[in-house]
Amino acid sequence: MSDNNERRVLHAEFFTEDPEPRLIAGKSKSSGNWTFPPYLADPVSFLDDVEHTQLPRNGVLHSFTIVRRSLPDFTVPFGLGLIDFPDQKVRVMAQVEADDLENDLELGMEVETIVGVVRKAKDGSDIYSYKFRPVK
Amino acid sequence: MANLRDVYIIGVGQTSCGKFPTQAAHMLGREATWAAIKDSGIHARDIEIGFCGHVYQGMGVGQRTLKDIGLVGQPVINVEGACGSGTLSFWEAWRTIAYGQHDVALAWGVENLSKIMSGGPLPLEEDDIEVALGMSMPGLYAMRAKKYLDEYGVSPETLAKVVVKSRKHAAKNPIAQFRKETTVEQVLNDPLIADPLTRSMCCPVGDASAAAVLVDGETLKKIKRDTSRMPIKVLGCVAQSGGYASATGLTCDPSENVKRTSEMAYEQAGLGPKDMDAVEIHDAFAIAELIVAEALGFAKKGEGARLIEEETSNYDGDIAINASGGLLSRGHPVGATGLLQTVEIVNQLRGEATGYQVPDAKIGLIETMGGAQPAMDGITCVVSILGK
Repeated sequence: MSDNNERRVLHAEFFTEDPEPRLIAGKSKSSGNWTFPPYLADPVSFLDDVEHTQLPRNGVLHSFTIVRRSLPDFTVPFGLGLIDFPDQKVRVMAQVEADDLENDLELGMEVETIVGVVRKAKDGSDIYSYKFRPVK
Repeated sequence: MANLRDVYIIGVGQTSCGKFPTQAAHMLGREATWAAIKDSGIHARDIEIGFCGHVYQGMGVGQRTLKDIGLVGQPVINVEGACGSGTLSFWEAWRTIAYGQHDVALAWGVENLSKIMSGGPLPLEEDDIEVALGMSMPGLYAMRAKKYLDEYGVSPETLAKVVVKSRKHAAKNPIAQFRKETTVEQVLNDPLIADPLTRSMCCPVGDASAAAVLVDGETLKKIKRDTSRMPIKVLGCVAQSGGYASATGLTCDPSENVKRTSEMAYEQAGLGPKDMDAVEIHDAFAIAELIVAEALGFAKKGEGARLIEEETSNYDGDIAINASGGLLSRGHPVGATGLLQTVEIVNQLRGEATGYQVPDAKIGLIETMGGAQPAMDGITCVVSILGK
């Protein structure tokens, strides 16, 4: 994360913000198979010819829930979703943000990758990572 | 798999399920293992090897358990496979006998959760990227529930009926954690944990241990047993780790793992879903009973709700599912669960489940599903089939 050295970031190696937030997946050169996050060896080709490649910014909300009781360090309620990237056959689990959690999320809707606060550190400071929100 | 030896369960034991914060895990373990050895009628020193399933109980819990019943020296392997740890330890005991390495083995599971938490979701592995972002088991199952209800037109009332059935069964099970019956309204009015799952649609935090003594067929004929207790045959026992979801086209669904594992177990036993009388499945959350019943072949995909709506999965129905009350009501002391399920099926096949006996139970099945991993259909699934 180059824009702000003070910001605490989780899984910085798995996403980029430049020029827009996108996840970084692995893609096997020989099989063309994608995984998120990138693996050491590809599960289809069994070769370690994995390139780190950006997923599209937008995915499809396969399912979601509103988590109302969670482990410490998470501020409830928050949205948790399974986001599909159908062309790459990749499904990602991540938090899903919405202005109105109860009403703004729908199965099958298009969501976009963003970067936002996902949890608190032990000292109470915010920790950022990739998340999703409905495309406006 | 050629030349496997016949394996029998000759003794079982278990503690009650509940919150026992003053009972260390090995104390629960010694109670269950000693009960299993006494039930088997063999001498404790006949035990050649032990496998102890657990998740959170620390270094050497298996050795700490057996030390208290005079069993030292023989190998003890502590087994971890998330919520499938108990049945994974059973699988280890089964295979060491089936493949002829040992003749007498002890498998048990033990967990004391109430010493480490009072409630809420299980603490998961922070190195897992999804856990670090807020994934919890209730959250994961809630997303499955949300999708399932939408896809198959099932209402939250059906999920509530799973809990009502579970409590009704558990009311008759003397070791169950929740023995008070409930209603659809009460279940739906419970606080939401993760939509659409309310608190009683999620299994409780609890503690217990359960154990089984296994021997091969030849040893059963010649070993001195101070009992006429009925041996129960292991007809099939299969363990499978989760498979890739992304490489198989967006499944990300543990039912794929259950389906795969159970098909292998059915084949090993030479039996199918229609042959099963009593079934204990891993209903950590109410939605799981529907999804897993389908994966095991007791209903077509999307039709698991009919078993609940038509009450055919009650203990006296066509296919008795979780006559014990299952994880939702008997309890889910993680590493002990698989052995609790196994002991339950042994009791049913012996005809000793007074008050909730599955009529004329001859064949039983145990399914345990452990954990979640990014892009995988679970961590460990074990399916066993037992017969009398």
